[in-house]
Amino acid sequence: MIKQVVSQVRQGMIPAHIYADPEIFALERDRLFARSWVFLAHESEIPDPGDYVVRRVLADSFIVVRDETGVIRVMFNMCLHRGMQVCRAELGNASHFRCPYHAWTYRNDGRLAGLPFHEEAYGGEDGFARRGQALLPAPSMETHNGLIFISGDPDAPPLRDYLGDFAFYLDFYTRQSPAGIELRGPQRWRIKANWKIGAENFAGDSYHTPHTHASVVDIGLFREPKASKRKEGALYTAGPGAGTTYKLPPGGDFAGQLRYVGYPDAMITAMAATWSDRQRALVADSGFMVSAATLFPNLSFVHNWPQIDADGTVVPFVSLRQWQPVSERETEVLSWFAVDAAAPEEFKRKSYKAYLMCFGISGMFEQDDVENWVSITDMAAGSMARRLNLNSRMGLTSDGKPIKPPLAAFAGPGLAYQGFGEFNQRHWLGMWSDHVQDGAR
Amino acid sequence: MKPLPYGDPAHLAAHQFLVEEAALLDAGDYPGWLDLLSEDIRYVMPVRVTTARGAGFDTLADMGHFDEDLYALRKRVQRLATDHAWTEDPPSRTRHFVTNVRTFRHRTGELRAESSLLLFRSRGDTREADLLSAGRTDLLRETGDGLKLARREIIVDESVLRTQNLAVFL
Repeated sequence: MIKQVVSQVRQGMIPAHIYADPEIFALERDRLFARSWVFLAHESEIPDPGDYVVRRVLADSFIVVRDETGVIRVMFNMCLHRGMQVCRAELGNASHFRCPYHAWTYRNDGRLAGLPFHEEAYGGEDGFARRGQALLPAPSMETHNGLIFISGDPDAPPLRDYLGDFAFYLDFYTRQSPAGIELRGPQRWRIKANWKIGAENFAGDSYHTPHTHASVVDIGLFREPKASKRKEGALYTAGPGAGTTYKLPPGGDFAGQLRYVGYPDAMITAMAATWSDRQRALVADSGFMVSAATLFPNLSFVHNWPQIDADGTVVPFVSLRQWQPVSERETEVLSWFAVDAAAPEEFKRKSYKAYLMCFGISGMFEQDDVENWVSITDMAAGSMARRLNLNSRMGLTSDGKPIKPPLAAFAGPGLAYQGFGEFNQRHWLGMWSDHVQDGAR
Repeated sequence: MKPLPYGDPAHLAAHQFLVEEAALLDAGDYPGWLDLLSEDIRYVMPVRVTTARGAGFDTLADMGHFDEDLYALRKRVQRLATDHAWTEDPPSRTRHFVTNVRTFRHRTGELRAESSLLLFRSRGDTREADLLSAGRTDLLRETGDGLKLARREIIVDESVLRTQNLAVFL
């Protein structure tokens, strides 16, 4: 079954049932999420020793904690003795985690600190050696720009190698100054939609903006008719990521373009000093500003700049969001507000307002997106969906050639096309295919 | 501080305000609802989180589901009135159940009204309905034009919401 599915997907014709199929979901669990690098948290969420958050990768719960020495650890949230969750809060600060069942107690670096009646119950160290006992660590854990990723594969490639050319684009969202970002939230909510739909949408669906998001244009949330501007943007694929951009007005220099987007001069100075020549050139020379993007498999980014008051003040915001699979028909969305940690407090306040108006569970963009995704998932679960291949070939001729050449004047790495196309979704689905078709890799 | 007696005219006025407000929301009369808000309205709904009993907090101080002023609420209402707010077209059928109303004299001379809210929301024909349970703390201000809502804090009872969006007001 999966061979046929993948062969269709690689031609840009997607068997509709993959968006609600339990067999596909099992393959995603066992072949994709079991070994891919998956985002869990950001260092700014756990700034002090003992700070922790509890996050999931599908059914697996992990404690992401900064230990007493400041080292970040990711540990499977299951007691070594009888398997109880040792931490049942979603965030907090703790020097130790004590299992409620039999009181086995772990330091916040995961090491077993003690268990009751060690001598009487086990005969001491001879019956049960405490030394070397620790909560199971995530098989692989690495960070980049403060973003904490884990992989179920102990032999996962180095994270930086995995990120490849997408690291270039990641900086626009997560490294606007040497201070990096602070992440707030997440808002968490569960939607009756397959997790792939959001990931694909953020990777490259600029085509939906003019229609799905017509209402935010109708009400003048943007300085200009954002929707029609969408087709002037560039779509890029780079390493395990893909994203969309907006075309900036002609003639602006680096600072002018960032002022247009709404950044204050203090932040622009920091960006100029932090980003590489090539990163600055994407803004100043190519004239593109990053917007939505997805890092395979399920971490997305968005950057946009609405008008936040009646005076027409334009303020940008950044959001990170994760499409956390619950089942083939349900996804937990985690949506964070991200802001440069060194940004002026006034900017942080305004940017937060911009975020809440646009994204997250109450966001005026996000509301209409989720309506679409729930409906797709509902339809994909039936019998007729097994007769339908969804056309995802936008931007290709019948013999599979791009309808126009890639952008020559695009300073970023990877491959970029201007205008509408489903290059990015096919790129994402190509990686998805690589994982689900091959149990052994 | 003790709540006003339930027969107190101020309590009765606050209670009536909340019930009339719910009627406007359930009827989809959002412009009518905006008329109940003061110019300096703050409408906030912090993210609720699961924390240990001793943690001392169970909401996030710096992240909400809503944190709105009148401009932001007006935009939301304007959006719902467009022909392109797909998530509410067809509209949800909602029922705002407002109960456990307690009213207090606030130091500013305003009334503080605490209430429990259960929002039933049904969308489409076959989807499971959503329930949102929350406590609300409101500041109601007497004006020449009757009571106005000057501040609302919504404390939702779930940390992970099970409704597809908040295209509704609580």
